[in-house]
Amino acid sequence: MKTWALITDTWREAFARFTFLGFAIASTLFLLTLAFALNLDIVDGSLAAASLLGKEFVLPEGGPPIDQVVVRGQAVFAGMLYGLGIFLAVFATGSLVPNLVKRGTVDLYLTRPISRTQVLLGRFAGGVTLVIANLAYLCGGVVAVVTLKTGVWNPRFLLAGGVILLVFLSFLGLMFLVGVLSGSTPLSIMVPYGLYVISLPLAAHERLAAVMDSRLAAGVVHTLYWVLPKTAELGRDMVRLVLAEGSLDPIAAATTAAFGAICLTFALIVFNRKNY
Amino acid sequence: MSLAPPPIAAHEVSKEFRRLRRRVVALDEVTLQVERGEAFGLLGPNGAGKTTLVKVLLGLSRPTRGVVRLRGVCPTRPGARCKVGYLPEGHRFPAYHTGASALRFFGRLAGVDEKTLARRTAELLELVGLGERADDRIGRYSKGMTQRLGLAAALLDDPDLLFLDEPTDGVDPVGRRHIRSVLLAARARGVTIFINSHLLSEVERTCGRVAILRAGRVVREGSVEALTQPRLRFRLRLDDSHAEPLPLVPGVSVAARNGHFEADATDLHAVNRLLDELRRQGRLVAELSPLRSDLEEVFVSLLGEEGPATGPAPAAGHGGGS
Repeated sequence: MKTWALITDTWREAFARFTFLGFAIASTLFLLTLAFALNLDIVDGSLAAASLLGKEFVLPEGGPPIDQVVVRGQAVFAGMLYGLGIFLAVFATGSLVPNLVKRGTVDLYLTRPISRTQVLLGRFAGGVTLVIANLAYLCGGVVAVVTLKTGVWNPRFLLAGGVILLVFLSFLGLMFLVGVLSGSTPLSIMVPYGLYVISLPLAAHERLAAVMDSRLAAGVVHTLYWVLPKTAELGRDMVRLVLAEGSLDPIAAATTAAFGAICLTFALIVFNRKNY
Repeated sequence: MSLAPPPIAAHEVSKEFRRLRRRVVALDEVTLQVERGEAFGLLGPNGAGKTTLVKVLLGLSRPTRGVVRLRGVCPTRPGARCKVGYLPEGHRFPAYHTGASALRFFGRLAGVDEKTLARRTAELLELVGLGERADDRIGRYSKGMTQRLGLAAALLDDPDLLFLDEPTDGVDPVGRRHIRSVLLAARARGVTIFINSHLLSEVERTCGRVAILRAGRVVREGSVEALTQPRLRFRLRLDDSHAEPLPLVPGVSVAARNGHFEADATDLHAVNRLLDELRRQGRLVAELSPLRSDLEEVFVSLLGEEGPATGPAPAAGHGGGS
């Protein structure tokens, strides 16, 4: 009941601070754009014409099969959602810990007969359920709109939501650590964004290390690659998943998950030892 | 004799903070014990370490040295905080809650079952005078209302141990009286109360025993009765309309106040000599009562002896209290 109370409290906070509403509005705008701006004209199971934001594209007779077009289109949407979904999720959950550890508020939580670990994990679970609900809405909405418009059902797109959630969980662990250490919402949001930007080029760590002028610098590049979440690889694998052309790189997935788990573990250790 | 451990026990508790390269001693070997059903007041000037001590007692902060126990259990263990109410100083309830939803939420964290919680929430909001504002957002509450909500939250778990840090801070006189009546009722039910305040009159009216903390050290501890023991000072009121001065009697010095006199005597013989002289003059004594020191006088005189407190003392060259 205590964990459930913490989860529902996180939702109440998200509603009251309009973070949930903002998340929902951004997702709805994306879905509406998809629903109304993209029109497909399908003839005999093939795409005959398409229009995007009013601009028409007439295809030669005997165009590509519609199911192939849908899957390719969904792969493009998945790529867009990867960045958008993580951006929104980090923004929506960045204040979870700083709001908890505010002076005068944290005392009210920690003097109840509940462990600090349970308080922080309850808050974590609240943030995760919040993001799962929004990703389900966003990804489910894309599948629903595309299916209704084309009659093509490609549930593999829903796997994109799972990959976005994995990367987000990794960042959420980091946000919890930064939040416990600093109590700052801006910092809790900026650090994962910074990490996202840094981690993308690290996919080419071999080439980056090769152009470094010292072994130390090359070592740093390799270390960063193995320590930080593999956002570029997972984004690429997510598109392949949607296209049914491959699966997730297990090492990339495991190291990304491990990064989040280690950050969360440190956050719990610091939170348990900290004087309030 | 009960073998149950005392509700609050601190043994040689010290707390040090590091600020840059400076070591700051917030608590310096504090030892105290509060017995079951007792109302205990912790007094001290700003920066004496009162709030730090309360936080250490509740497990919010760990002592650098020493041992703290709540009913015999280390307060960092969640179980030790069962049936413990706490009203923190400057508390901030999440502003997105209403008064009622905040109580329900913190009640759930305390493990109170839903049925009891529904009943307690309504009862407590009525008790602290917030029944009609139960469904208003806390962000719209005044400071006094927030303070009363904090008291209701502290009482949620039907606690047998209550910690209150500056409970009447920012509350108007009527609200203070209300809070005091709630605390006295809790005390009458046998709840152990630990009040931390710099409002001496509040502590004097609520607590049976006090400790005075200065620069992290307990410099005086005892019952309010003992600390404010009567001196050879009396309040004297005569039943006459004349504004005549009192007769001069050896060993008694008298000062006129609003409608009465305050007499300082060297001994009881001097007081009786004054009474004899008044009767000889045919004047009627309507009241003669001993004046006690109030806690404020004790506090000020104690700090006067010790010198002004300037906050937690640096460890290097720590002068401390007495």
